Amino acid sequence: MRITGPGSGRSNSSTSAVFFFLCFYRETVNKIMQLHFTKDVLPDSVSTDFQNLNKFNEQQFLRLIEILFQFLLEPKESDRFMQQLSAFAGDHGMSAGPLRNLMKSVLLVPQGALKKNLSQEQIKEDLWAEHYAVLSRLAVRQTLMVNQLVDMDWKFGVTVGTSEVQKVGNIFLQLKLVIRKGNSTENVYMELTLPQFYHFLHEMERAKASMDCFS
Amino acid sequence: MAAAVTAEDFTNLQLLLKAPSKDAVRDVCVQSHRAPSRLLAENTATTLSISAAQAAQLVQSLHVLSHHVLFYNLSSPEQILALFPDSFHSSLKNLITKILLENSPTWRTEALSNQISLPQLKELDWRVDMVTGSESVSRMSVPTCLVQFKMEDSCHSGGSESVSTVTVELSRESLDTILDGLGRIRDQLSVVAGK
Repeated sequence: MRITGPGSGRSNSSTSAVFFFLCFYRETVNKIMQLHFTKDVLPDSVSTDFQNLNKFNEQQFLRLIEILFQFLLEPKESDRFMQQLSAFAGDHGMSAGPLRNLMKSVLLVPQGALKKNLSQEQIKEDLWAEHYAVLSRLAVRQTLMVNQLVDMDWKFGVTVGTSEVQKVGNIFLQLKLVIRKGNSTENVYMELTLPQFYHFLHEMERAKASMDCFS
Repeated sequence: MAAAVTAEDFTNLQLLLKAPSKDAVRDVCVQSHRAPSRLLAENTATTLSISAAQAAQLVQSLHVLSHHVLFYNLSSPEQILALFPDSFHSSLKNLITKILLENSPTWRTEALSNQISLPQLKELDWRVDMVTGSESVSRMSVPTCLVQFKMEDSCHSGGSESVSTVTVELSRESLDTILDGLGRIRDQLSVVAGK
């Protein structure tokens, strides 16, 4: 069911694409739920929430979409998302709680679409394609990583002398790996001799070659 | 540590004249290079038929001498012979010098491998996995690399060594960045080596 909404003359094509997309859903909520989420059981409150979206005027609706997509593009900024919703609620004389619940339901749409890997034909290809590509790349980046390497610092130097041997001339390399463990980071320090460094370099090149085979 | 070798040390060294064989002298010299121990002193006292106190002093003097040679990297016979006083027994002097020269390379390698450092990398393992699905995306094919570092931290005090293992996950971008950094290190190393 094709909807030609207002705003065809808008300069920002992504915003209008999004607007069309959500208008589409706003008008045909139940049909869409059946077509695309046949395997999901959605709570009744969700369809009510979508119908409540109808109650916003164009300006309000546009602003809500902006907030929604800002959050989708930067999912870590949940505090900002909440603040923006509260500000919106304040500006338009409504309570923040119901608005937040409404937005949670609305969020199901793009998130559900990604989970089901819905094909572009199903989601109005010409309106959604751009955002879908960006969001799926972001979703991949959000994929769980265990002990993710965040940073690697290094320094190398020459041991000039020790308490046991007055004059030495050995090259050493020191590495500091910063690893994300849950919400905090851990530093791991180690020292490599020169042969070990070359071995490390060689092995990482082999790993990269192995990874490149798969692209 | 490189304490100075004193006249008293050389007096103690002359106790080696009581050794039954050259091998016995060699054994005492080599064993006193490590941290002096009471057991060694006792064994030396028995072998040389001297008192325990004298044996302890002898072991300590040998320790000082061998560490002095190691610290200043005295690698020629003349350099070591020059340490001894003129009155020192000449054959014993030559024997001790010979023993010290024989063992210096080993002692040097040992000292350098036991020096203080950050935990030493002992082993490196890696594997490349293909991630095919996750909570946020049901179908995908993204390679990821896991690298395991095994490090050994030698604690001299206890004599025990603790091995710790760290496994790290790298995305393709991280691996590229690492290789970039390692390449730069290699370039700088070749500049340093060329000088």
